[in-house]
Amino acid sequence: MSSWQKYPWIALVAARSNLAYWGDVASRFIFLGVVLYIFLRLWQVTYAQMGAAELGGFTLAQMLWYLVITESITLSGPRVAQAVDEDVRTGVLSVQLVRPMSYPLFRLSTTMGERLVRFVMNLLVGSVVALVFVGPIKLEGAGCLIFLLSVPAAFILDFLTNFSIGLGAFWLEDTSGLLLIYSRLTMILGGMLLPLELFPDWLQPVLKALPFSSVIYGPAHLLVHPDWSAWADLAIRQLSFILVLSLFVAFLYRTALKRVFSNGG
Amino acid sequence: MFKKLASYLALAVTYVKLNFLSQLEYRGAFLSQVVAMFVNDSVWVVFWVLFFTRFPALRGWNVSDVITIWALAASGFGLAHGICGNALQLASLIARGQLDVWMLYPRALLSHLLVGRMSATAWGDALFGYVVYLVMVRPDCPHLLLFVLLSLSTAVLFVGFSVLSGSLSFYLGNSEGVTEQWNFSLITFSTYPATLFEGWVKLLLFTLIPAGFVSYLPVEALRQLSLPHAAAALGGSVMVLVAGVSVFYHGLGRYESGNLMEMRG
Repeated sequence: MSSWQKYPWIALVAARSNLAYWGDVASRFIFLGVVLYIFLRLWQVTYAQMGAAELGGFTLAQMLWYLVITESITLSGPRVAQAVDEDVRTGVLSVQLVRPMSYPLFRLSTTMGERLVRFVMNLLVGSVVALVFVGPIKLEGAGCLIFLLSVPAAFILDFLTNFSIGLGAFWLEDTSGLLLIYSRLTMILGGMLLPLELFPDWLQPVLKALPFSSVIYGPAHLLVHPDWSAWADLAIRQLSFILVLSLFVAFLYRTALKRVFSNGG
Repeated sequence: MFKKLASYLALAVTYVKLNFLSQLEYRGAFLSQVVAMFVNDSVWVVFWVLFFTRFPALRGWNVSDVITIWALAASGFGLAHGICGNALQLASLIARGQLDVWMLYPRALLSHLLVGRMSATAWGDALFGYVVYLVMVRPDCPHLLLFVLLSLSTAVLFVGFSVLSGSLSFYLGNSEGVTEQWNFSLITFSTYPATLFEGWVKLLLFTLIPAGFVSYLPVEALRQLSLPHAAAALGGSVMVLVAGVSVFYHGLGRYESGNLMEMRG
């Protein structure tokens, strides 16, 4: 097996092991259902009160479908930072280093495998909720395609940030605070709770330029408002952030490895 | 009766002091968790401020009312789990047979068990609740006094509900997943205006998921400075606590020791 072939297999094993725990998968569906129902009511009341068919360019149905995607992306995220943090603190990392594979790529493969399963499941459950309460929206083949093209890059970008936070365990007493702050910034600045069109006009270009929106808002917006030029713009931003963050992770990882001490026995 | 109550209050104060000192042994981690939770809650306030900037009222409720909901829910949750930190661990303690060690003490089991641990992040919630109410709602003296009383009532509700949901482990075996989702549902519904919901969902909010005693009655009490609403909120909280304690002691008859060798430092 060549050095690269093992990583898709690692992703496959991670995906299959994730499917084995149905209880855990089902319990996440309850939370997703509750959140989507609350958002549905919030926006139903808001649209009715404003007497508007569209808000920020979204109809009520589009708004709920947008939220289905943003919630599916957010809730599909595996606990990468916690896993890396634990590997560092417990010394498991030194065992991983002995294995004939790159530790960051091993974590990336595991994350992508797990996340793909969770994302698809969340999407299915979210779609059922949306279909029941607001019905379908007009989807084009091209829209679905560019949406699907934008999702893997969003996951990689999110992984790189989480991995960097996990590596922080080499220097910090506790990384959970940093992780919580990152996830909340992604929620609000990434457009998970509100489409960026509903933010003040002066803030929208700033938020669109930040990496958070490339993880959540970008893909979700493409499904609801498909546009090839918007996809090209998003893809350039996603790839640029991935490049910069990859370089940062490589630097951080090399620096961190110098701090690894292991005693055999 | 009063002597016994005073004795348990003294025990709780001593535990809080000890737990606080043990948290301060990892000062950096403790502070970062408190700050992160404060930031986490602030993100939601930012969301609501942005929302109300765009849509000024929601069925007669304005941004102050929703900030009051957040202040009450956060301060109540923070006090509940800052003091009774084991309440959220109850399901796993029961499932793993870890009540044995608490049964050896000459104190009532539940009240002693609950104060045995402190949640560091909960203090971030409590701090956030009081600060955001003082800074953003700017109450006068009667409102502030009523808010403090209602935050205590909300804390009673959260403790009672955590005991109730955690006690499911006596009946279902390991109920951690169900307990966690039930608690999530309460917290999520508690942070949105109850006026969004109608019909059977509203009924649910005063029974199975008693968020109405956090997000409706206390807020109405503060809006109208109404003691009957405050009394109804307190009554609801006490009922939830009584239900939790009753289910716990009923379930205790089904408890099976884990035969675990355990030490408490």
